[in-house]
Amino acid sequence: MAEVHYDSRKKGVGLYIKELFEYGDLFLILAYRDLRVRYAQTFLGLFWAFLQPAATLLIFILIFNKAVKVDTGDVPYPLFALTGMSAWAYFSFVLSQSGQSIIGAQEMVKKIYFPRLVIPLSKAVVAFVDFMIAIIFVVILMLIYQYPITLKLIWFPVFFFINIFAALSIGIWLSALTIRYRDFIHVIPFLVQFGLYATPVGYPASLIPEKFQFIYHLNPMSGVVEGFRYSILGIGEISAFSYVSFLIIGIFFVSGMIYFKKVEKVMADIV
Amino acid sequence: MSEVAIRVENLGKKYEIGLSKAGDLRSAFGNFISKLNPLSNKQLVQSPNQPLKEFWALKDINFEIKKGEAVGIIGRNGAGKSTLLKLLSRITKPTTGYFTVDGRVSSLLEVGTGFHMELTGRENIYLNGTILGMKRREIKEKFDEIVTFSGVKQFIDTPVKHYSSGMKVRLAFSVAAHLEPEILLIDEVLAVGDAEFQKKCLGKMEDITGQGRTVLFVSHNMGAVKKLCNNGILLDSGKIVIIDNVVKVISNYLNVIDRYQTNKQILFQNEEICLNSIYLKDKKGNLRKEFNSLEDIYIAQEIILKNDVPNFKIGLEVVTSFGIKVFSSFHNDRDDHYNSNTLPAGKHVVTTIIPGKYFNQGEFHVNVLFGIHMVRWIYEIPHVARFHINFSIENPYFSANKRDSILAPMLEWSFK
Repeated sequence: MAEVHYDSRKKGVGLYIKELFEYGDLFLILAYRDLRVRYAQTFLGLFWAFLQPAATLLIFILIFNKAVKVDTGDVPYPLFALTGMSAWAYFSFVLSQSGQSIIGAQEMVKKIYFPRLVIPLSKAVVAFVDFMIAIIFVVILMLIYQYPITLKLIWFPVFFFINIFAALSIGIWLSALTIRYRDFIHVIPFLVQFGLYATPVGYPASLIPEKFQFIYHLNPMSGVVEGFRYSILGIGEISAFSYVSFLIIGIFFVSGMIYFKKVEKVMADIV
Repeated sequence: MSEVAIRVENLGKKYEIGLSKAGDLRSAFGNFISKLNPLSNKQLVQSPNQPLKEFWALKDINFEIKKGEAVGIIGRNGAGKSTLLKLLSRITKPTTGYFTVDGRVSSLLEVGTGFHMELTGRENIYLNGTILGMKRREIKEKFDEIVTFSGVKQFIDTPVKHYSSGMKVRLAFSVAAHLEPEILLIDEVLAVGDAEFQKKCLGKMEDITGQGRTVLFVSHNMGAVKKLCNNGILLDSGKIVIIDNVVKVISNYLNVIDRYQTNKQILFQNEEICLNSIYLKDKKGNLRKEFNSLEDIYIAQEIILKNDVPNFKIGLEVVTSFGIKVFSSFHNDRDDHYNSNTLPAGKHVVTTIIPGKYFNQGEFHVNVLFGIHMVRWIYEIPHVARFHINFSIENPYFSANKRDSILAPMLEWSFK
């Protein structure tokens, strides 16, 4: 057995990351538990994962397509909206799940040691199932509309990766904040609801006047959603403003980790 | 590889009483709500402008534990035993000092951490095992062994919510018992299950300590501590009283319990209740700690309630020195139906009589329980008193030694 030496005085980012990898099994089994429990004893089971995006899509078609008549160029509106929704649904799911995750696991936190970051991180895996369903939806619509794929698709993994980071960066912040201040539990639904309309999910970002573009892209998801459309549908371009979004994600992620680490020290005492 | 498994230097942990647990925003809001609600117990939410009280759960702790040593940590409630384990298992951070640990550590502060009721027994073994620090591969190897030990093989693919509480505990303990760390930290987890399963657990624990692992064992069960550990640490009020051979440490602890009767020392205190003293007396009112088996035992407790407590309930538990519960009794046991009486704030002396001709000979410990009927337990205070029963032979044919039982009641018999 490998020799393990622990000294309570030692600190270090490298040590922490190494430890996270050692807890890989825990990370996976927590995700498995969430998935199993989520649809346990529901009559429709996984079908719910289909139903939710379908219902939102219908509402979007009614509002933005029929009522407001948003111009989406050559792209059929349902396909346009669903592509944005797939990114947003992943983001909002991870954010709301990981935001409350530490409080939900407080019995564990008080009784056993493990790197606490495993808890919010595991939510990124849970949401992956819903995301796959949404992507299957997108593929089906592309087949129906016989929408052509472009070479830009090779960028998709990159934007999905950024999407994961965006969701986790806010999720990690919220999971640490809710421990200190339970008030943030009530902030999460606001963020999710509000964010949906502040992000170019149901409409193109070009609808926003030029002078507000910078502020608009302070929303980390603005750049991600545009990136999804760019890679999947081959429309638009990665504007300079998108990089503002990506930068914001980076800032949130790094600061979130630092804050989380700080709160982690007292987590078991105050949770 | 060094010989020292755990080295603790100057370790201390400070808590701040009065600092609301979850941030100022909330306590501010909580106070606002409690002001609106005249029925709320204002003591529960401390006002943020009250001065913070510092409280050292542990202070100036120094010791070294060698590899392969099994050390029992004993002391009364609030002595800092659990805090020490929480620090060493890295659940919380020390305020002062540091410690080093050489070897893979597993801590067992509770059985069944992370159990999910919707999952099956099989899934919970993997979940709980992983949470306790086992690798998936390890669990797979030991899976059959774990299931066999727990005795729930038939139901292994049934969701745990359909298990009886005994089955849940057995399954949870079985997972824990198959941990194979180099250093094991255990907090009072043997007090689970029925007597038979407890025996099995104790046996398993003996195996574990016998395999040369380093074990730190917190328990109120002196019998188990004596059996499993070679050395002991006695803690009191966050400080080490003595580190020595386990027999010496236990006798030191028992002396502390005995001193409760003679010293005017408060046994337990929180914001709701204070247990001032407990006395064991005979019929004539003499303080005693040894009783003849024919005698009645009078247990008198002096308590102070800080507020009026509706549905107050007080209970006693008698356990053997091996931690086996003999009985528990509550002040309202004899009521025909439950009356919701409020016990007013102030001092009360509560006396319980345990009739003679009841115990076999041996050593017994008394635990005190406070609670609100059908609502919650306020506190359980273990080992506040102890007494010894000497079997008295009224009938020369009635030999206590021949009865392998905790009780030796003299019952009435008749023939028709």
